[in-house]
Amino acid sequence: MVFPTRGASASPDPHEQQLDTDIQSIRAEIRTLQRRKRFLASSLLSSDSIQKLIRKPTPTLSSITDEVSPLVRAAGKHSDSNHHRIAFGTTAFPFKDPSPTAPAESLLGVRIDVCVRGGRFAKPYYVLLRRVRMRGEKELRLRVHRHTVPAFIDMARVEGVYLPFPGAGKGGDLDGDSDVEGEEGVRRGKVGGKGGNKIYVDLCVNCVKLGLSEEGQIDPSERLSPEARGGIVALAPTAVEARYVRLEWEDGRVGRFKLSNAGIVERAVVIGDDGRDKQIEDEMTGGGGRVETLLERLKERGAVAA
Amino acid sequence: MARSKTLRAPSTASLPNNLRIPSTTPSLTKSLGKHSRQALLDLALTWLDDRNITSFPPYLQSNARNDTNDEETLPYPAAETVEDVRQAYTDLQDRKGGKREVLERILEGDWRHGITLRQLAMADLRYMDDHPSSLRWTALELSRIDARQKKPVDGHLPDWSACIPRTQAATFVRALQQEISPLVKAHFHLSRSTTLPLTFLRIFILDSPYQAPRQSPQIFADSSRVIYVAFPDSCPFIYTSLSTSTGSKPAPSTSSVATDPRSLQRLVRDAVPKALSRPHERYTLKATALAAKNLPTLLALRGPGRTTAANGAFSIFADAAIEGSPLDPRPSNTVSAEEYMSGGVNGLSMEDKENLDQPNGVSNTLKRHTASGDGAGDGQDGPLLSPTSKKRRLVTHSRFGTAGGSQAPAPLDRLDIRLLDVPSTTNTADPTTTATASATQPTISLTFTGSDVIGGIRTLAELGVIDPERMPSWMTGEEGVSMAVVRGGKRLKSSV
Repeated sequence: MVFPTRGASASPDPHEQQLDTDIQSIRAEIRTLQRRKRFLASSLLSSDSIQKLIRKPTPTLSSITDEVSPLVRAAGKHSDSNHHRIAFGTTAFPFKDPSPTAPAESLLGVRIDVCVRGGRFAKPYYVLLRRVRMRGEKELRLRVHRHTVPAFIDMARVEGVYLPFPGAGKGGDLDGDSDVEGEEGVRRGKVGGKGGNKIYVDLCVNCVKLGLSEEGQIDPSERLSPEARGGIVALAPTAVEARYVRLEWEDGRVGRFKLSNAGIVERAVVIGDDGRDKQIEDEMTGGGGRVETLLERLKERGAVAA
Repeated sequence: MARSKTLRAPSTASLPNNLRIPSTTPSLTKSLGKHSRQALLDLALTWLDDRNITSFPPYLQSNARNDTNDEETLPYPAAETVEDVRQAYTDLQDRKGGKREVLERILEGDWRHGITLRQLAMADLRYMDDHPSSLRWTALELSRIDARQKKPVDGHLPDWSACIPRTQAATFVRALQQEISPLVKAHFHLSRSTTLPLTFLRIFILDSPYQAPRQSPQIFADSSRVIYVAFPDSCPFIYTSLSTSTGSKPAPSTSSVATDPRSLQRLVRDAVPKALSRPHERYTLKATALAAKNLPTLLALRGPGRTTAANGAFSIFADAAIEGSPLDPRPSNTVSAEEYMSGGVNGLSMEDKENLDQPNGVSNTLKRHTASGDGAGDGQDGPLLSPTSKKRRLVTHSRFGTAGGSQAPAPLDRLDIRLLDVPSTTNTADPTTTATASATQPTISLTFTGSDVIGGIRTLAELGVIDPERMPSWMTGEEGVSMAVVRGGKRLKSSV
């Protein structure tokens, strides 16, 4: 811990110098520990069990609850938004432009979280959208105001497709749709640009999954009738990247399909007891090949077959 | 190497790497003399490296035997082997001394038979690495000339990537050479920056079609004949250096207007996008209204990072200074921006406020001065801070974000603003006034210069000289430009 080469201007005494270094390192240690304490405290506060426990009304400990509640509530809120960020990858928030000459004061911020390899998240990317009123039109449109998306993604082109202005072709309505599409576009761009991030594909799989489980939830009786799901009993990505998805049918057929960056089923193989089921394979890759409608295609086919 | 002095034929080839400039050329001494001793030693050792030794071998005794020169009169005897030469420079490295002895050893000793063009180019690029603000750079954007609008075929997503031409260095240089060879004789040197994510192309231009130009060797070290083009990694921008020294230097031998260095430079710059183009994929360069001396600034404002389209107030997003990763359990208001920006990976490197302030130079000492002048203490959360200055500080932070601060420095050395507003109107945001303004209205041009313009404005806002709440956004560096035309506080994009 002694640096003998350091300039001896402050204190020529080597002993003093060593004490100084020691003090510095101890201070650094204290800071690290404090940070760790804070980290652990907030981890504990936002943990599921604590949250559940605190939310339960406990009349005997009302004083403690009152004292603790702001902290716990903040932690709970934060963990909720974190769950949203992890699950959806894209979240929106309001932002107020501080500039007095800004064309639109309130902006709609879009935060895009990208999961990189190793289970870590990269620094979030942001797109800030502003509302623009077209001349002679009543409705407001969204335009990209500022963004932190790297320059190798052509933001103007993404904007041109998902937030067209002035509305040619499909109108860039303000009602959620266009906004969501804009986010989608950005996310796809991100996937394409970064190459390594498969969050969109992940999402596609989730979406198929949700389709499966939601149907089960809507009508419990349907859960028992596998025809409603095309007879599929299991669906899971085979690797973290979720490029390949494994399917399992109730009659023992197993399948696997490959997803492209754009969410299209590129290849599909289905094997049953009597060899490959080409018809199902065709159904999976055909019809545009979008993974979102995969289930419907299979269902239709299932209905025809039945 | 041994070029014939009698035979001259015009050709379209580029100037060869091994064209030697006589070591006695005074301008060569001058241009190598810019370097520090350490840089000169590094250069010499690089030249003596195994990979380069064949390109520019030092003067050895075997050369001396063939020479008719009198060995005795020279101050540096020729070395026996390359290893000896290397040893000599390693020895020089170990001992202290001036750079003069290194320079003399290079020019009068080991490379007395001449410095090649490639060596000179390497030396220039080394200088650029050591002095990133030695030149003024202009950022240009590459964009495609698309005749027809491409329609995205459904099912297939359009290509979102910006126009970044993919080309091989050799192909690009050959294409560039083909573009300019009828008019300009050039020497190309392509090299990767050691400190920044950039690839430099150094182009030395001559207006002679001859392989061995008749001009005096003085011309080879003329900095006004050198163009630098820098290609930052993975972004659709290129930076070119503008030679500002052309005016001060006497025009070299040529008198014709078309062949002065400046127009040759323009020729070369125009050829760059053409050389990057391919059939059905043509590029052009667009101005981006940004010129700065500092290459890191250009990289921050027109580079591959996040800060390209989010500056000023929005830099908090670019630096991800407000929220952490979704896996971070700490609520975002309990974590400082510095902690988020540093990634929070290594705890030890992060200092608290006082320690952060210390290593920074001018801006922070300024801050401290004024803080004490207000009767307020140092540090953001100091209890002595008066409510007004604390509020001002908060507003300033909301306007500037992290820009102009010590955290993410991107200093602009010059900011040119032309105001189109009518000077008398106090309400600048009123669009009707500006619309009715007659054509004879005077416009106001503002030029800010200094080592860090945006940082300076930020400091002024913190002092209370500038009202941070009413200040237009171009003063916060939000536009990320160095020249702008402003009306009603808004930058007019079309006019630049």
